[in-house]
Amino acid sequence: MKVRSLLSIAALGLASIAPAAAQTTLNVVSAGDQNMVDYVNNYLGPKFEQMNPGVKVRAVGTGPGDSGSQKIYEKLEAQQKAGSATWDIDVAVVHQRGAATMVNDKLLMPYRNDIAAGKLVSRDTAKNALGANVDGYVLPMFHSQIAFAYNPDLVKAPPKSFAELAEWVKKNPKQFGYNGVKGGMSGVGFVMGWVEANSGLRDKLEKGPYDPGAKATIDKSLASLKDFNQYVVMTPGNAGTLDMLNRGEIAMGPVWVDMFYTWMADGKMNPKVKLELPAPGLPGQPMYYVIPAKAANAAMAKKFIDFAESPEVQADGIVKQFNWYPGIDPQYVQSKMTPTAWNKLFTDISPSDLASKGRPFPLSDYFTDIVEGYERVVLK
Amino acid sequence: MAAIAEDVLVEARPGGQSRWAALALVAPALLVLAHFAKALDLYGNDLAFTVEIVALSTLLIALIAIAIAGYLTLGEHPRAVALLRWLYRWPLFIPFVVAGQIMRTFLAKNGMLNHVLIGTGLIEPISAQSMLDWRGIVIAFVWKQAPFVTLLLAGAMASLERQHIEAARNLGAPRLRVLVDIVLPQVRGTLLVGLVLSFVTMLSVLSVPLMINPNSPTMITVDVAYRINTFADYAVANALCLLSLLLAAFGAAFYLRHAVRRVEAP
Repeated sequence: MKVRSLLSIAALGLASIAPAAAQTTLNVVSAGDQNMVDYVNNYLGPKFEQMNPGVKVRAVGTGPGDSGSQKIYEKLEAQQKAGSATWDIDVAVVHQRGAATMVNDKLLMPYRNDIAAGKLVSRDTAKNALGANVDGYVLPMFHSQIAFAYNPDLVKAPPKSFAELAEWVKKNPKQFGYNGVKGGMSGVGFVMGWVEANSGLRDKLEKGPYDPGAKATIDKSLASLKDFNQYVVMTPGNAGTLDMLNRGEIAMGPVWVDMFYTWMADGKMNPKVKLELPAPGLPGQPMYYVIPAKAANAAMAKKFIDFAESPEVQADGIVKQFNWYPGIDPQYVQSKMTPTAWNKLFTDISPSDLASKGRPFPLSDYFTDIVEGYERVVLK
Repeated sequence: MAAIAEDVLVEARPGGQSRWAALALVAPALLVLAHFAKALDLYGNDLAFTVEIVALSTLLIALIAIAIAGYLTLGEHPRAVALLRWLYRWPLFIPFVVAGQIMRTFLAKNGMLNHVLIGTGLIEPISAQSMLDWRGIVIAFVWKQAPFVTLLLAGAMASLERQHIEAARNLGAPRLRVLVDIVLPQVRGTLLVGLVLSFVTMLSVLSVPLMINPNSPTMITVDVAYRINTFADYAVANALCLLSLLLAAFGAAFYLRHAVRRVEAP
């Protein structure tokens, strides 16, 4: 792994020497699905380059889920251990777990107070990443949410809670599908929601403190999930669930709200399919902009993030184009959008629904316990 | 490691540092075993599943390869033989990941296979099922690897002396008998080589089970990738890889025994 990282560092290093001295290349590395890379390549990059002649924005993706953030972490860690003077990632977009680990290992530079957009965020997610203090090191790029998508033609009365869902799948076998814990975060989010609903540990899981003794209660709630799995279909991934919903192979499943609306806009999703949030809730997560501690172009990186977090870009790029909930506080973004465009996000899920049933993911250690518990209890 | 530790212990002075040195030598071995224990605990089912799938696929590949190569050697309609010879090789050039993608659309509930079966009236629309589970993996493996083994086998059969086959046919032996009793024993070695190579190759494939089988149990390769990507748990991933190597070595042992026997045969 380290040799590979070192080799890729060498390759990137050689590649960045190549262009002419007058041009700065801003290296943006993003975890997450392909839509994240497309966002920088097709929208943010060209706009930023127009505003800053002589700068070239280059985006690279490391893949979806925490594994994508893990790859970025490994690269920065390798450069830190090798003692490089400057590191070749200028801006990184990572998940909460990745950001928490990176702050812990002192791989990131604090920048929030150096840019104007830093004042536009007051939500707790800007300071707290699954229990770790990341204040000053991160800015949320967007807030995403997992919700149940269902086909109202096939599901006349969608289950409104996890308990109702468990009953519903017994009467409608193989009509609900999710992607387990190995296929993508929407499945992981569903499992988190299940455990929060069935273990009675919701506040503890979200706010802490971490108690290793909770494993037994978590395992017990996962035992009922093993039973549940007999009546459902496992899908190959985030996109797999959406795909099967569209083709009518399943009638209901957990999906990312932004992926859902994007697919619908692209014509890849049956326009009749609707969203709902079951009680007590499903998780969502922000992804963070971070700057590595020894980034080669730190000043340009700060300018880039300031640009990306400005209300106009958040309104036009994040909300309108990609159907994410904004990273900065909503009131700054709402004033930049038409009421219809703003309400599109809240057609099926009202703001009050989102406020009460949109949960954060559990603390990192509980997250690991739940995912490992799933393997131990449900998959065996 | 243990032997070295023993030596050090035997020569240890009472209460001396050598005992600790011995412990330090043995400790890493104990850690390694803990990872194997975790790997077997979490993924024992998947290991068994992997062996079953690959063994089943190897068996089916053997049957298909023998059937096709046999027909190419013993077939009596030159047009059919020529057509088969041209047709069977196509999957050879397709990478596993592409084969996985093909099967994803072919074997899905709304996929091409079901469309054909429903269209020809062989099954009712309501009973269409998705083959995207262990069956899909086996189908992808067999479809991709059978041409390879067939190629080897057909080549070996073509280089046999025709006299044996013709003598048997003149004596009235049906073609199946000729295949099983005359041809196969002579090309056993090549068949074994092809099957062992296929066995080891199929053990290493990540793309096919990842794309086709979201269920549990799944193949070991998926677990290795999951362990590395989600937990950065290289220890358990390495343990799983070593277990996979053991399985592959099992297949290689078969081949080596056969090769040695041939060399030693008078």
